[in-house]
Amino acid sequence: MAKKYALFIALILVVSYFSLTSGSFSVRPAELLSTLFQIYPNPQYEILLFDLRLPRVVMAAIIGLGLGIAGAVIQAITRNGLADPGILGINAGAGAGIVAFMLLFQGQKEVTSIAAAMGMPLFGLIGGLIAAILIYIFAWHRGNLDSGRIILVGIAINSGFSALSLFLSLKMDPQDYQMAMVWKNGSIWSANWTYITAVLPWMLLFIPILIGKSRLLDTIRFDEDTVRSLGISSNKEKTILLVACVAIISACVSVAGSMAFVGLIAPHISRRLAGVEHRYILPLSGLIGMLLVISADFAGKLFFQPAEVPAGIILAILGVPYFLYLLFKQKKGENA
Amino acid sequence: MYSKQWTRIILITSPFAITLSLLLSILYGAKHLSTDIVFTSLIHFDPGNTDHQIIWHSRIPRAAGALLIGAALAVSGALMQGITRNYLASPSIMGVSDGSAFIITLCMVLLPQSSSIEMMIYSFIGSALGAVLVFGLAAMMPNGFTPVQLAIIGTVTSMLLSSLSAAMSIYFQISQDLSFWYSARLHQMSPDFLKLAAPFFLIGIIMAISLSKKVTAVSLGDDISKSLGQKKKTIKIMAMLSVIILTGSAVALAGKIAFVGLVVPHITRFLVGSDYSRLIPCSCILGGIFLTLCDLASRFINYPFETPIEVVTSIIGVPFFLYLIKRKGGEQNG
Repeated sequence: MAKKYALFIALILVVSYFSLTSGSFSVRPAELLSTLFQIYPNPQYEILLFDLRLPRVVMAAIIGLGLGIAGAVIQAITRNGLADPGILGINAGAGAGIVAFMLLFQGQKEVTSIAAAMGMPLFGLIGGLIAAILIYIFAWHRGNLDSGRIILVGIAINSGFSALSLFLSLKMDPQDYQMAMVWKNGSIWSANWTYITAVLPWMLLFIPILIGKSRLLDTIRFDEDTVRSLGISSNKEKTILLVACVAIISACVSVAGSMAFVGLIAPHISRRLAGVEHRYILPLSGLIGMLLVISADFAGKLFFQPAEVPAGIILAILGVPYFLYLLFKQKKGENA
Repeated sequence: MYSKQWTRIILITSPFAITLSLLLSILYGAKHLSTDIVFTSLIHFDPGNTDHQIIWHSRIPRAAGALLIGAALAVSGALMQGITRNYLASPSIMGVSDGSAFIITLCMVLLPQSSSIEMMIYSFIGSALGAVLVFGLAAMMPNGFTPVQLAIIGTVTSMLLSSLSAAMSIYFQISQDLSFWYSARLHQMSPDFLKLAAPFFLIGIIMAISLSKKVTAVSLGDDISKSLGQKKKTIKIMAMLSVIILTGSAVALAGKIAFVGLVVPHITRFLVGSDYSRLIPCSCILGGIFLTLCDLASRFINYPFETPIEVVTSIIGVPFFLYLIKRKGGEQNG
């Protein structure tokens, strides 16, 4: 296991290195190191790295970590390998909550201020939880979460919340509207240290909870009766896990918009590499998520110069074929 | 039979209902007009009069466009539900609308000087591309044509096509033009474009109605349609062609409008039953009226500002979609 972790950490470092050094203004390795470690500080590089490029990489890493882990947990709870927070509509729900926040507090204070940055994830959480509750209500079939229905309900919830966000965003001032649009596409351009401080507590609080429940997730894989016979009150535990996931996802969405498919791809690759035990799957899935988002952000910057394509779009272009491949691989007779 | 009575009621009242909804759509908006002005402008058009200008250049094309597009989308939805025997089939869920928008983006990049009629044809090609992609993938998958699988394949294919369009438009800096094609824009209906599109709508609807009896046979399942023999494939292809023409013209004219093609055929089926020779004409009428009224509502939800039409159709469509899933789940022919 340690080898696999090391491999992904090494890959993350390599991609981060390229993301930091290349761009419209390239930085040489020696300059990178000397600026990062403050050996011979050069103000020009300091601005470039500390204010522009580093926050982006750090933010991408945090978001990837959060979405990778939350995605793995959601797939375990729903027992559905095709579940992804983006497809299920949790991202859209959180997004609508955040647009509501932007509308309510527009013009009152700088939206980049720390108080606003802290408030956004809370509103996102409310929206995300509403989406999750709706999924439960409508996908519940004969005492179980029907895995086909989950995705259909997700499609409906997605379009409902997108329409709501659209409606709310049209009530904004043109200036706020622009900001909302950039944010909605899932981009990390607006990354700054304020946003990073705003998401970090959520990650530090909820990721350990999820990893701490790894053993529980191992048993949830089995059907309802087995879980109950092991003396686990599965509904209560599932609720705690789901709230923790939605909290992480909302925090991610609040700073970077909707990033679909990270929560789908990362857990899959991770499960293939790490086997069935969640104490290995979860951290590895987080690392893969990190690698995915940092790479997608870098690719959006590199291949489309001088324009930049949001990481969310790159992830969707990569994610759809992967999703179809998974769908294709499903055994006959098995309901999606 | 109640269903026969309903068919009769819908067909007989349709001229009045359509005229009434068109009239309402012409009368009410950011500026309310009186019936007198509308009638005088219809009889004696005075180019110097602002109200007459509004009526002829904005309200009438808009009302007529909404009517045609609503009818086209509802008929497309009904046809797709019939030939796939899938209650969730509809142009916006099955990638047809996004395929159309994708090809239009591609053409704006490669052939920026295209005329309106060329754009229209690209839009048809795009609808066909979306449909072929989704149905091709579904044919390759195990259980690909069950409602759940087909809806999932359609949704993710739409996501792929729209992401590709978004990436292209950002790279070539045409996002603004693209959002013009993507988001519904009934309020900017151009009379010339409408005249150009009208024959296509007619062809599509006539094709759909003439196919309707055979679609009923296909929708009843393999046992009954076996008697049709080899013709079954031809019927499906002809029906898809009609869907492509109808959806392609609708997207070219006003962008993507979701849920009309899903909701209207279901409501119609509830009233007139599953016989497609009744279902298709009635869906056509109800779809036109439905979208005209949604468009009217979109002017008043946030008065005096317009609300995008997709917000209105989603308010109605999303709960309806959830209700369908709750009731029917993954059954094939619910």
